Amino acid sequence: MSLRKILGLLLVATIASGLHVFLSDRVWEQRGEVRRNIETGYVFPSRFTRILALGHKGLYADYLFLNTITFFGGKQMYQEKLTDEDWDYLAAGLEAVTDLDPYFLDPYVLAEGIMTWENMRFEDANHLLEKGTKYRTWDWRMPYYLGFNYFYFLKDYAKGSEYLMEASRRPGSPSFLPKLAARLSYYGDQAKTGVLFLTGVLAQTADENLRESLLKRKTALEGAASLEEGMERFKKEQGRSPRNIEELLEKGYIDKLPEEPYGGKWIILQSGRVFSTSKFADPLKKKKTEKKNPGGKP
Amino acid sequence: MGVLEITFENVFKTYNPGLFKKKVRAVEDLTLEVSQGEVYGLIGPNGAGKSTTIRVLLGLIRPNKGKILFRGEPLCQGQFREEIGYLPENPYLYDYLSLKEILEFCGRVSDCSGAMLQERIKVLTEKLELSQALRRPLRTFSKGMLQRAGICFALLHDPSIVILDEPMSGLDPLGRKLVFDIVLELKEQGKTVFFCSHILSDVERLCDRMGVLVKGRLVRTFEKKDFEESAERELHLLLPPVPENLMPDLGDLAVHLHSCPGGALLSISAARLTETAAILGRLGIQIRGTRTSQVSLEELFIETVEGVTS
Amino acid sequence: MNRVWALAVITYKEGIRNRSIFGVLAFALFVLGLNITVAGFFMREVGKVTVDMNLSALTFSGLLLVFFVALQLMAKDIDKKTIQLVFSKPVSRGQYIAGKYVGILLFVFVSLLVLVVFSSATVSLLLNLYPNYFAGFSWPMFFLAVTFILVQMAVLSAILILFSTLTTSSFASLIFTICVYLVGVTIEDVVFYVVSGFRTEAISPVVQEVLNVVAYVVPNFSMWDFKLEAAHGLLIAPARIGLGLGYAAIYITILLILSCLFFQRREFH
Repeated sequence: MSLRKILGLLLVATIASGLHVFLSDRVWEQRGEVRRNIETGYVFPSRFTRILALGHKGLYADYLFLNTITFFGGKQMYQEKLTDEDWDYLAAGLEAVTDLDPYFLDPYVLAEGIMTWENMRFEDANHLLEKGTKYRTWDWRMPYYLGFNYFYFLKDYAKGSEYLMEASRRPGSPSFLPKLAARLSYYGDQAKTGVLFLTGVLAQTADENLRESLLKRKTALEGAASLEEGMERFKKEQGRSPRNIEELLEKGYIDKLPEEPYGGKWIILQSGRVFSTSKFADPLKKKKTEKKNPGGKP
Repeated sequence: MGVLEITFENVFKTYNPGLFKKKVRAVEDLTLEVSQGEVYGLIGPNGAGKSTTIRVLLGLIRPNKGKILFRGEPLCQGQFREEIGYLPENPYLYDYLSLKEILEFCGRVSDCSGAMLQERIKVLTEKLELSQALRRPLRTFSKGMLQRAGICFALLHDPSIVILDEPMSGLDPLGRKLVFDIVLELKEQGKTVFFCSHILSDVERLCDRMGVLVKGRLVRTFEKKDFEESAERELHLLLPPVPENLMPDLGDLAVHLHSCPGGALLSISAARLTETAAILGRLGIQIRGTRTSQVSLEELFIETVEGVTS
Repeated sequence: MNRVWALAVITYKEGIRNRSIFGVLAFALFVLGLNITVAGFFMREVGKVTVDMNLSALTFSGLLLVFFVALQLMAKDIDKKTIQLVFSKPVSRGQYIAGKYVGILLFVFVSLLVLVVFSSATVSLLLNLYPNYFAGFSWPMFFLAVTFILVQMAVLSAILILFSTLTTSSFASLIFTICVYLVGVTIEDVVFYVVSGFRTEAISPVVQEVLNVVAYVVPNFSMWDFKLEAAHGLLIAPARIGLGLGYAAIYITILLILSCLFFQRREFH
């Protein structure tokens, strides 16, 4: 080939390469948008995923799990609220993963971490955790989480205590469990019990985001617990319940108002429990309409 | 005739290529015999059934009808294969093995091993000029080298019967001479050789008997003596047709005048060449050329084949 | 049996010197590298994921070795008529089958063993990086699962040989072997789904009968799959190991016998 032809071809190749770089950027950008706007995925029923795995169920479970947490993480990154369909997808996804490999720990931990606090999908979480309890017979944390859910969210102290006892029978369980179970069945719904429980859960959590939210809750409960203590003393001495938190402060039963990390005001419920106007929840974030991080690769 | 080593008796083989194609009659009513120590050549046009015949002999395919006997007894493959060496047409051996490895395999499978095996390998590869290539992988071998490697493979265990399918194919003239010499040597050693070939001149020179196979049938058998010239008449002169009136002038030469396609053939001894040339010159008969044999296998072959097809 | 061994040796050598195995090696190393990168994505079960990826990579590499190299070892002989040369020697059809099978087994085992070395290195590396997350891991379980991958490959090779003796096209035997394998790994889930009470659609009795027959004819590959147990360090009852080995041995024997029989009738043109 003559020199001219070679140079000509090289020139075309260079121009094409430049165009490719440009287009490549556009491709990644567009895909990022498409993925963000995508309708919730569809999860194959477990009986089909088992067959689809072609004998590599463990690996397929890992892959599906990665998919699931990427989806969830993506929504978090763009601070988008999850719709009901999103939560259904999440639950179905975790079910599929645990059907492929019921001994897989991560889905259970994820379920406990996000399905309960944010969105109160207790049935879904508990269903998963029951599976985990059944298969991971060496793991005390599965029944522990179940106990926590029944106590803290579902107010079923009897069941909560039952699960805690199951947890205490499993190897390696912390020594405070039997005591906690006993407390539960006796004291039931008190902020102090909640604090103890949360301490246990925190000890098992490594994920930074989750730890932050749990610590926040613990602070809130500790505040509530100290207020409840003050209320107890008030009732004993004054012979009646205080009308509001301020009365406690006025009458000197507490030194100062404890920190309310969610930014709400401390209130006393009809039932006599201390609560807050914030309902111990973060304010809702609106879905952002402008693009976040345009042109960047994920 | 000595012991009959191989006998085909009324062997038939028909291929059934499929639903919509006609059956192919590869071998029909084949009867032939090969005696011990004989060199038998099977010749025929392409597709005549030569390779099929060999395959039937080797047990690679089963005949529809007929029997094959080995030393008078029905062929028993196990014992038969211990005594034969086979060279297929265009042998293909394993790509990544070396020549040494394939020959060692050949030996082990023929119950020949250890020092004797190594000795045989050395001798054979030297004879076939492959000593340098012993450790090279077979895929680096040229066609000619592969053919020679195949010959080593066939002869390694010193078989008493050697079966060759187109042994000269793909060889350059040097290679062909090598194979020719080897077959001669085998013959001297008293081995039985059964081979098929297209190269008629080699067949003519090597074989004791030759069979012509056309469309699966053995149509004619030649013997070596059909082509032998007596020592006295080694030259054959090609002449134009000799008119009747000149015959008496040839004298005793006329006895050895035969007609042939397009003219006449005069057989004389080399000693009488000058004299004969003078006589022919006087008679005005021009000598067109010479040839080495009275009749050639090629002519007979073509004649036979055309006879069948017409 | 010298002849069987001689044939096995050359089959093995031909396989191990085939350039394709470099491709398989590259693939396996790629997956192992992927393993090291991806392990950190998982919250806690790094050990499980590591074992999953390693055992799956070994299985898949074994499949590649059988489907592409072992197949060629069988098919080339017939395509290129080398088999005619071999049968000019006093080798019986049965000895040929046995020799090829042993040679293929040797080849697959040695190749996989090399990959197992790399795999063990990967696992060791990750074990050292994330010691806390390998709680359930046990080396004996891992190697037991690896052994049964070898058993699976032994069965698959026998299936391959059977189809090679039956069909003339190497592509056809490849496709049939792959199909049998796919059925073998999924048959358990299909059967148990049909049998269970959870199905939402009615299954016709014809399909059920077909499934019954298939379940006998095609081996249940799940029997030799200990990936889940190895991933979580679960105990395996000795009865499972015994039955697994016995099931494989019998099935392979049947296949090889059938292959010999089919081969006796085969003609070579």
